[in-house]
Amino acid sequence: MNTTFPFGFQLPLAFYLTIYVLTLVVHVVLMAYVLGGSLWLTWASLFPGKEKTPRTMQPVARLLRDWMPFALSGAITAGVAPLLFVQILYQQQFYTANLLLGWRWMVVIPVLIVVFYLLYVVKSRAIASWALPLRVLLACGVATCFLFVAFCWTANHLLSLDQSQWPTVFQSGNAVTSAITLALRLATWVCGTLPVMSLLGLWQLRGMRSRTAKWDAEEALVGTSPTEWDYRFSQENRRLMILSVAGTLSAFIFATLYYSQLDQKVRHSLTGSAGFVWLMVLVTSAVAVILLSLSRRKKSVQELSTLLGLTCAQLIQLVAAASLREVIRLTQADLTAVTQNAADAFQIGGFAVFLIFAVMNAGLITWCIVLVKQK
Amino acid sequence: MNPVYPVNDYGPLMPGLVMAAVAIVHVFLAQFAVGGGILLCYFQWLAMTGRNTTARLFVNGYFKILVLISFVLGAMTGVGIWFTSIQVSAPTIGQMVFNFHWIWATEWTFFSLEVVAGYCFYRYHNQLTDRTNLTLLGLYAFAAWMSLFWINGILSWQLTPGSWLETHSLTDGFFNPGFWPSLFFRTIVCMTLAALIGCIVVNVIPSLDRSEKQELINRAAHLMTPMLAMPLLGGWYLLSMPEDSRSWVLGGSPAMMLFFMISVGASLAIGSYALIGLWFQKLYINGATATLLLFMAFGATAGGEFVREGSRKPYTIRHVVYSNGIRPQDVAELRRRGCVADDPFPVTFESKLPSANIELGAKVFRRQCAVCHTMEGANAIVHLTGTWDTDQMRMNIAKLQQTKPFMPPFAGTAKELECLIQYIRWVKSKRQQNSDEDISQETLERITHWLDEAGTEPADVHGVSTSAMAAREGSSR
Repeated sequence: MNTTFPFGFQLPLAFYLTIYVLTLVVHVVLMAYVLGGSLWLTWASLFPGKEKTPRTMQPVARLLRDWMPFALSGAITAGVAPLLFVQILYQQQFYTANLLLGWRWMVVIPVLIVVFYLLYVVKSRAIASWALPLRVLLACGVATCFLFVAFCWTANHLLSLDQSQWPTVFQSGNAVTSAITLALRLATWVCGTLPVMSLLGLWQLRGMRSRTAKWDAEEALVGTSPTEWDYRFSQENRRLMILSVAGTLSAFIFATLYYSQLDQKVRHSLTGSAGFVWLMVLVTSAVAVILLSLSRRKKSVQELSTLLGLTCAQLIQLVAAASLREVIRLTQADLTAVTQNAADAFQIGGFAVFLIFAVMNAGLITWCIVLVKQK
Repeated sequence: MNPVYPVNDYGPLMPGLVMAAVAIVHVFLAQFAVGGGILLCYFQWLAMTGRNTTARLFVNGYFKILVLISFVLGAMTGVGIWFTSIQVSAPTIGQMVFNFHWIWATEWTFFSLEVVAGYCFYRYHNQLTDRTNLTLLGLYAFAAWMSLFWINGILSWQLTPGSWLETHSLTDGFFNPGFWPSLFFRTIVCMTLAALIGCIVVNVIPSLDRSEKQELINRAAHLMTPMLAMPLLGGWYLLSMPEDSRSWVLGGSPAMMLFFMISVGASLAIGSYALIGLWFQKLYINGATATLLLFMAFGATAGGEFVREGSRKPYTIRHVVYSNGIRPQDVAELRRRGCVADDPFPVTFESKLPSANIELGAKVFRRQCAVCHTMEGANAIVHLTGTWDTDQMRMNIAKLQQTKPFMPPFAGTAKELECLIQYIRWVKSKRQQNSDEDISQETLERITHWLDEAGTEPADVHGVSTSAMAAREGSSR
């Protein structure tokens, strides 16, 4: 761990780590949309505002309700890839943490099934006629389910890091060895989902604004004037931008507190040769997100260049965060064993098969989207 | 040597049962998703070519069910089966992931295509042309079937690794002796399940009259005609199985035989009804009957999956990992060192163990037996050894693979075996017996003698070299 992650490692380990980090980032983007989106809907339900149209009926909430079931499906599908590679890299740690959590880990599946169906309920038109408390309860229920899943993943990850605690955890049944560390790490990730969700929301808002005819027609039914309509979009843009800044800042604060809880050796790795570059990249991209968001917060529709800039900064930030996450893990893991696992797996054939079909299916997925775009 | 993992206590259920429950539900849903894609393509084609105008209604209604059931429950139980496998046998799933991670990654790319094509159709089919809809459904069906193709290679490898045992080549492992019969058989099962669910869906479409429903039902039944090939494919699959595994299914193990007969009987009933009633006589089938047939199909799937899992005994991956997670090549070392010497996890499933020996025995039980057995619940050791006296117990467990050929060899020291017996006797005595029994040297010598006599190899390869074994099993390809 004397060179910037993952360059200091042997080729097989560096290869699997890179694939793991990249696939994890794809999963995190979709997961952030779902988790951040559920928190937005909860906020909109709890505080409907004083305007004629309640926040739950305003553009972002409508988009979220419409797209969250697909995003959850995408998040789960995208989650399979990092789940596969984590088993190559950290098999013993991951499996033991799973087993130590036992039914508390397994319960993630029924919870996700329930929340999946709840998202379809949230999306259905029928809930418009529901009483307000019931709608609030539904939104809170969805967010609670996602937060619970996030809690389980965090507990699992922290447990997998601390091998010395495994027998004690097994004996006591208490899967949380340090409540503060867990809370800070969970808070970091939850807050970190907000800017990602905001960014995806901004892209969707831009798309929605461009489909003026359809939007006009729908809005005409509830008697919204074009001026009100403009105002509403600019408000939603501003809210998303503020959320992005608030999420980035709070994630940064919680991450700093989490850092203070880490072992001296781990902190050295993060600020040393393995993590320093990524730390700088993370801070720089976070600052870029904050500055861009603040400077463009009053626009009613974001320009393409702003969105592209925000997207690049956000993606770089996620790659940096995921890399630092691995630096922390590798510092605590048996590096010799992890290197050997990767080297052994590297000898197994099949990569060419994967590559061929990955390219082919990426093409077919693009084709599906093109077909739909031509409608 | 595999690391020692903690083992959770599931009360009266053994982890294997939890695994079976999740696996059966997942297989059923996943196969419905695959068959559903094929059925939808067929009906879309019927609608757009004017052969059956009401087929369009069916496609829209059926796809909503497919999304709500298969996309949600199917996808989630798919992840669930992964988590459950870890709970049941971490070394097994670890080995499968290790050997086939790129195959799994390839399957994931098809699964991604399946999700995207499916959602594109789901969201936009009302705004797209017939041709585009058929293309999307075609891509969905293709991706779903390809998912089956890849996963089938990994699953069939567990029972029939064939020449992979010698070559360790990915191609040999993937296209193992059981691959093709299993793939064709499963494809027919997928189409049957989709057709049966189709019959239920037709019955709940309110705008169709009886003759329209009958026409659609008879069309759906077309997907069940390949069931005619099932006996042939089933026979091929049985022939591809290793001899000992086949013998469990064909009478060697009453439980396995029973489940096999349930599967065969249910399939026969569904197939006969489909072919004679729906295909030749063009009968109408109401929702209740279709649901009943679907339940029978679930029974057949459950029976088939039970047989597939059970016939691998004493392995979870033939000649690679035993059902208790221990690898065949580690048995000799564990006999020397002890199977719980590296086990850092304390015993938590018993509250008050009266002696160090009984505690050691409890650990041995957890390490070697707990995946498939409980002490007093399902498949209980106390009941299975109920008629054995102490000496019989010592000999039978020392020579376990000969006592019951579908059991793995005992993989521990003589002292560990004796402690296991003390633990079993303590539980048998309703946990009343408190004295710490000394273990005599003579007892240990006798146990060692029996252990040596039985050897460290499983019953099916006693005295057969690995290469000869691989050649023998690979020759059935």
